[in-house]
This record gives sequence, structure tokens and C-alpha cells, in this order.
Amino acid sequence: MRVKVGNLAFAYPEFSLRVEGLAFESSKITAIVGPNGAGKTTFLKCIGSVLPIPKGSVFVDGRDLAALKSRERARLICYVPQEHDTTFNYAVSDFVLMGRAAYVSPFSLPSREDAGSAAEALDFVGLAQYADRAISELSSGERRLVLIARALAQQSDILLMDEPTTFLDPKHETELFQLIRKLAVEKMKTILVTLHSLEMAVQYSDQMVFMKRGEVVAHGKSAEIFEDSLLEQVYDMKMKVIDWEGRKIVLR
Amino acid sequence: MSGQKNSKARGLAIFFLILPLLLFLVSLSIGSYGISPRGLFKAVLSVVSPASYPDVPAAYRDILLRIRLPRVLLAMAVGAALSVSGASLQALFKNPLVNEYILGISSGAAFGGALSLVFLGRAFPPQVGGFVFAVAAVGAVLLISGKAESHFISLLLTGIIVTAFFSALLSLVEFFASPYVLQALFFWLMGSLSLASWKDLYISLPLIAVGLVILYLLRWRLNVLSMSDEEARSLGVNVRREKIIVIAATTLITAAATAIVGIIGWVGFIVPHLVRMMFGADNRRVVPISAAMGASIMMIADDIIRGVSSFEIPIGIFTSLVGIPIFLVLLKKTRKVWL
Amino acid sequence: MIITLSALILSAAVIFPGQGQNIKDNLGRSVAVPPRVERILSLQPEITRILVALGATDRLIGVDYFIGRDDHLFKILFPGGKRLPVVSMPDESINKELIVRLDPDIIFASPTELQVPDSIQRSLGIPVAALASMGSFEGLLQEIELVGILTGFEERARDLGRYFREKIRSITESIGPLAIEDRPRAYLAFWSSLVRTPVFYEPVQAAGGRNVADGLLPPRLGTIGAVITVEQVIKWDPDIILVQGSFLPRERQVTVEGVLGDNRLGSVKAIRQRRVHYTLGFWYWWEPAGVLVETLFLARLFHPERFERLDLEKEGNAIYEMFYKKPEVFSKLGRLLDFHEWTEK
Repeated sequence: MRVKVGNLAFAYPEFSLRVEGLAFESSKITAIVGPNGAGKTTFLKCIGSVLPIPKGSVFVDGRDLAALKSRERARLICYVPQEHDTTFNYAVSDFVLMGRAAYVSPFSLPSREDAGSAAEALDFVGLAQYADRAISELSSGERRLVLIARALAQQSDILLMDEPTTFLDPKHETELFQLIRKLAVEKMKTILVTLHSLEMAVQYSDQMVFMKRGEVVAHGKSAEIFEDSLLEQVYDMKMKVIDWEGRKIVLR
Repeated sequence: MSGQKNSKARGLAIFFLILPLLLFLVSLSIGSYGISPRGLFKAVLSVVSPASYPDVPAAYRDILLRIRLPRVLLAMAVGAALSVSGASLQALFKNPLVNEYILGISSGAAFGGALSLVFLGRAFPPQVGGFVFAVAAVGAVLLISGKAESHFISLLLTGIIVTAFFSALLSLVEFFASPYVLQALFFWLMGSLSLASWKDLYISLPLIAVGLVILYLLRWRLNVLSMSDEEARSLGVNVRREKIIVIAATTLITAAATAIVGIIGWVGFIVPHLVRMMFGADNRRVVPISAAMGASIMMIADDIIRGVSSFEIPIGIFTSLVGIPIFLVLLKKTRKVWL
Repeated sequence: MIITLSALILSAAVIFPGQGQNIKDNLGRSVAVPPRVERILSLQPEITRILVALGATDRLIGVDYFIGRDDHLFKILFPGGKRLPVVSMPDESINKELIVRLDPDIIFASPTELQVPDSIQRSLGIPVAALASMGSFEGLLQEIELVGILTGFEERARDLGRYFREKIRSITESIGPLAIEDRPRAYLAFWSSLVRTPVFYEPVQAAGGRNVADGLLPPRLGTIGAVITVEQVIKWDPDIILVQGSFLPRERQVTVEGVLGDNRLGSVKAIRQRRVHYTLGFWYWWEPAGVLVETLFLARLFHPERFERLDLEKEGNAIYEMFYKKPEVFSKLGRLLDFHEWTEK
């Protein structure tokens, strides 16, 4: 699935986003980084059509995303929010099953196949044993996994994850990234992730996009563009990138 | 182990789904005019073949067919309607504190009924006016909140405003009307099944049935709609369109119910909570079981009212007085957190 | 029971000429009343009508919304009444400023409007008495006596009281002694509803009948209406059903035809024998002449053989003339309310 961003512009009352000429490939992870308020989440939501976008902004395999019906779009792209507000305490399996909404017509119930896809997705993230538990009984890390499982059940080839590892402890953070890698490699998904952690970003992503004040400052292969002057430009702060045993570490 | 829990839950669910049918039979035998179950049975048979049962008093048949049957059916329909409506709106607004009247239906219906009684008089049943303005109130809410109708806060606030507006209009009508004309209105507003006649049921039952069917078919979709709008959109749902369908269906059934029985509080709010406490939040279960439980509770309440005294105590008062303590007790007892 | 209660209530008044008195009203309130009242604000139509009957209309300085707007008979009895300021509205709100401007010595209110008496007395310091007949003759007669004393029309009040009692006595005498099974059982459908009925309505009793709802409720102070179920009506199986006919025909929600055609009531004796009739009933409590005529009418309805020679229209007009010094009032009322039976000779 090739995602091409043509000319994307979105404006809030006090903020506007403008992105041109980006492309994302399948089996690749793109990390979108930048300071707070750079527009990372807005950008993601626009691509995911969670925010309304005009025609001609985003194309998937040549198809204009804005011209698609909700269901078709959902089968291509899935936006995974950072957190989920638990008003109603659904069972984990019911929660993941909702990912099948794009495949079930409004007046029907999910089929056995749908249930099967949901179960598979839950299994992929390693939480099959929690199927009957209530969402509120899970830790926040596990809840992130459930959100990803739901995205998997949706079977969209493009996953947009908004800060999936924020507030997770180092172990869970690492496990989650390994899962995301697995998704890209095994399931050939096109994955966009917004992150704060620069080291994780450069370690796990194939491509990076640096944003600042609603615009793209730089983009390219992670290993290539990740260096001091760019970081300083984006974050308005002196930083030093150090190579250590093939890994990049950022000193401030 | 979870299989055991599952089968227990399933058994309980089946019990609640069957309960209305049992209560239906019991309710027919309750009333001021005491008819023994045997007498009732004979009365039923005498309807089918009057010749074989000449000694069944005409009063039995009149009471059974013209008083109790329509009333019990109405109780079932209204109980189911209000409960499903409450459950659906709670899911839609992602807020379990919502009840089926929040979009202005109660005050719209009251105003419409009053307007009809005052200006159209006896010739026109106030139910029609009540229904029309109940729907108009919701329409006003949707129109006013406009593009922002997907924000539940905006809808809620607009609902409060429209409710207040129609209440003020109602006060204006009361101001100018003769007290005798409005006496009927006040009794209706307190919520009573006593106005049940077949004429009312011919119109309202089909409307309620249509709305219930729509919401029943949408029951899984309600799960998805209970997610935040962003999530729902990301999951591929046309949020705006489906919200309007849900609101339209709930408005239809609540307005139809309110037009006949007035305002009966707490049922639409408490029943979905009880169901979620017992069966979890999945609306595939919550919707049908709420319908059954709502029907049962309404029948039980009406049975108590009809059986205990010869007075027509408004059921709306009853459901509030009984519903709230029950809710508090169950809230305390349940260990499962549903919020 | 009510008769004793009402008697006790007003017998608690101690009368000293020249001094004020304390009366206990129907809400159990003790009200200090000045010895003579020159300015009366009547929010109780029953009292207003009594004032007209006594000839004390010059004391009347203000009325309520009902008698000003909805009472069709009042316009005939006291045409000057339309110039009187209207002080209350249907939602029980009162125009306090107007009351202060009118400066009444006393205000009469209905016990059914519970907020009004206390609210006025508290904020304006004017004595408010909540009085009503409550469906009993004694209650009505005591009101007449009290108002007569307060306005200085004692003699007229006494004459009316005597006339009233005499008429009732002659009705009861014409009926003669009655065993309980000879008293027809009547169900009263009042207040625009088939299922609202007064638990006490003395005309029925005085006319030699029985109110099926008698004793249903220990009557709470202030109201005597009970709401019952249709099944209860069927269970009672009354011989006669009386529908409140004091509404103008086009405003009637419950009609004789409607009741006769109600297919739920098919088994009821009154329906089968087509004994469903209009009666005056309450029209925001009573109008004294109307109650007398009604009792006569009911007596003839219940015991026709004892009232064969009764010319109701003539008697009715005579009664109204005694009370209001106007001729042909009853005939006019009959035409207004479309009471063919009433005016049938």
C-alpha cells in the first residue's frame, strides 16, 4: 500500500498544517517526530480521515482518500488513538470485534468469520487469554495492545499510531516496538507512528519525518537524516547524536 | 471456568427474555374487579366461541378485552420502548447518566398536548399534538446544534435549552387555559397507563414496534457508536448518518410512548444500568434484555398499582419512588465495575 | 362525617358584636377576622356567588380568574361583575401588587389552592380564609351565615338559610322514609373525566340516592375528588351515572353519549338501562341556588313516582329568583347548558 500525500492543508483556529509531497511504502515504519504542537497528531488524523480533508490531498495506491466512503477508507487505513476513554466496560473480545465495523453492515451482526479475525488479532498481540476480561481490568500497556489488536482486526494495510508508547515503561515500550516491527515485516503493513522518543524512533523506523509548527522540516531514511544540526533546528535545543555499537543515542 | 460463567449468564438472560410472557398472563388476572384465574380462562375461551360459555358474565369479557388487555400490552410496549431508548441514547452519548427525555421529548410532548387540548378541544386527541411536538423538539435540537451535532456536549446542552423553552411555552398555555380543560393534561403528564384504549394502541404500537426493530438491528452498531467519534470514524462508520438514525428511532418510540402515557421517569435510565451490571456492556445483549426487563418492570409496577388499590396512582410517581432505591441497592451490591 | 366536621369548624367561631373573631378555615388555619368587612376580595367563586345572593356586591372589590372568565352563569347573575378586577390566574399565581392596591379587609380563597392562603397572608398581612362547602349542605349554609355576619347582611343570610333548609326538608319529606335498597346507586363522573369522582356529594343523598364512592377516601382537607379505575366503576355497577354538565356543551370532554357508547362499560346496569344523565355538579364549588335545583332534579330522577307533578323549570326559576332576585335565570341556564331534561315539564 503506497500512501502519497499530495497537498495536505488543514487549519484549526490557531494552528494550520501544511504537508506536501510525502510518500510511505508498505512493510515500512515511518516515525513522525517533532516538538509539542508541531502538528504530528493532526497530521495523522488527517491522513486517517478522522479530521475532514479536501479531495486531492491524500492518495492510497492512486485512489483519493477523501473520495472514498467511510467503509472503504476504513478497510485501507486505521487510526489508532493513544488512549481509549472507557465509558463502557466492554469485554476485551467485544472491544476487538469492533474493529470489524467496516465489514459489517449497520443493521447486521458480525459473523463467525469476523469473530475469528478478532480472535486472531488478539492472539497476534499475545493477549488471547484476556478475551473474556473487562477492559478496565487491564493495565495501560495491555490496553494499548488491545487497541492495536482492534486495528489488526480491521485488517487495514495502513496503520496510523498516535504516540503508542508514551507513558509505557521501558520494557513494555520495547515490546510494543517489536510488535510494531513484526506488523510491518510479517503483515506488510504501512505504518506511521508519532513519537517523542527520538532514540526509539531512529532505532525502529525505516523513515523519519520531522515536523515543526505545522510543516515538514525534513524527511528521509532514518539512519541518514538523523544528525545534530537537524535536531537542533527542529527542537531549538543543542543536541548531540552519538553512535554506540550501531545504535544512535541522543545527548542533551 | 469462564464456560460456567457463560452458561449461568445465558440462563439468566433467557429467564429475563421469557419473563414478560409470564408476567403478561399474570397481569391479565389482576384488577379491581376480581376475576379468578379460572374465570379468566373461561372468559378467554368464551371470546373464541361464545356459544360454549353462555354463563361467562359480559363484564368479564369487557374487562379482559377492553380494559386489561390493552393496558398490559401498553405496559409492555412502553416499558420496552423507554428502556431501549434509554440504552441506545446512553451508548450514543457515551454517557450512562443520559435518559430518554434529554433531547426535549418530555417538554415537547407536554406542550403539544396542552396546545391541542386548549385550541382543538375535545374533538382532537391530545396524543397527536403531543407526538408532533415531541418530534419537533428533537428536530429543533438537531437543527440548532447543527454541524456540531456529533459533539455530545452540544447536543446535551441544546436539549436542555429546548426543554426549557417548551416548558416555558407550556406555562404560557396553562396561564391562558381553563383549569378544567387542563386537568386532563396534568393527569397525563404524571404518567399513567389508564388512558390505554385500543384506539391509542392501533397507532402507537406499530410506531413503537418499528422503532424497536430498528434499534434491535442496530444493537451491535451501538457498541461502535459508543466509542469516541474519532474512533468510530476511524473504524469506518458514517458517524453523522448513523447517529441520526439512532436518534430518529429513539425519538419515534419515546414520543409515541409519551404521547399516550405521559412522562414515566427512571425506567429508561435504570433498566439499561441493571442490564449492564448483570450482563456487561455489549449492546447485543443490553438492547434485547433491556426491552424485556423494561416490559417486565412496567407490568409489575402497573400490577401493583392496579392490584393494591382502586385508585389510579400515576405510574410515573411509582417508578420514581421504587426505582431509585432499587438502583441504589444494586449499585452497592454489584462488584463488577461497569463504568 | 363531613357535616360534623364542618359544623365543628365554624362553631369554633365566637361572635362578639363590635369585636373581631377567630375562625378556623377548611385548611385548619385559624384566621383573625375584623368585625365588619367593607372590602372583600373573593378568590373563591362559591363565596362570590353568596355575596351576590346576599346583595353585598358593593363589598366585593375583586375576584378570581374563574368567575371572571369561565363562569357563564355569573355573567347573568351579576353583569356588573365584569368590571371587577381579576386578581388570580389559573396557575395559582396572584397579582400581589393589585391586591395591595385594592386594600381588602379579608380575602377568601379555595382550600384546593394550598399555596395561596399562606403566601398572601405571609407577604401582605391580610387575613385569608380558605373556605369551601366540600360537598356538604352544612358547609354551604355555614358559609352563608358567616359571610352574612361579616358583611352585616345577617338577616338576608338567615332568610336564605331558612329557605334552603326548608326546601331540602320538603324534598326529603316528599321522598319519605327509604330502605337502603330503595336508594338508587349513583356514580358521579365529575371534573372532565370518567374516573374522577367526589367521595362526598350531599345532593345525591338528600335526593334519596347513594353515592357509590361514599367513604372511599377519608376526605383530606381541601379536596374531595378521587381518581379511580374503570374496573372499579364496573365493579360498583351503578344504577345511574351522573356526568358533570356544568361545562358548556362544546367544552365537554365527557358526555352522556360518550359514556353510553363506551364499550368497556357495556355490562354496567346504568348503561344497559340507559340511565346516564347530566347534572350540574361542581363548577368550582357550588352555586347555592343551583345546588337546590340539582337536588330537586335528582330527587325526580331517583324517585320519579313521587315527583310526578313537579314543574322543574318553574321551581328552578323560583329558587333562582329567591336567591338572586332575577327572573327566568334557570331557563336561561338550561338553554346555555342544553339541558333538555331539566326544562322538561
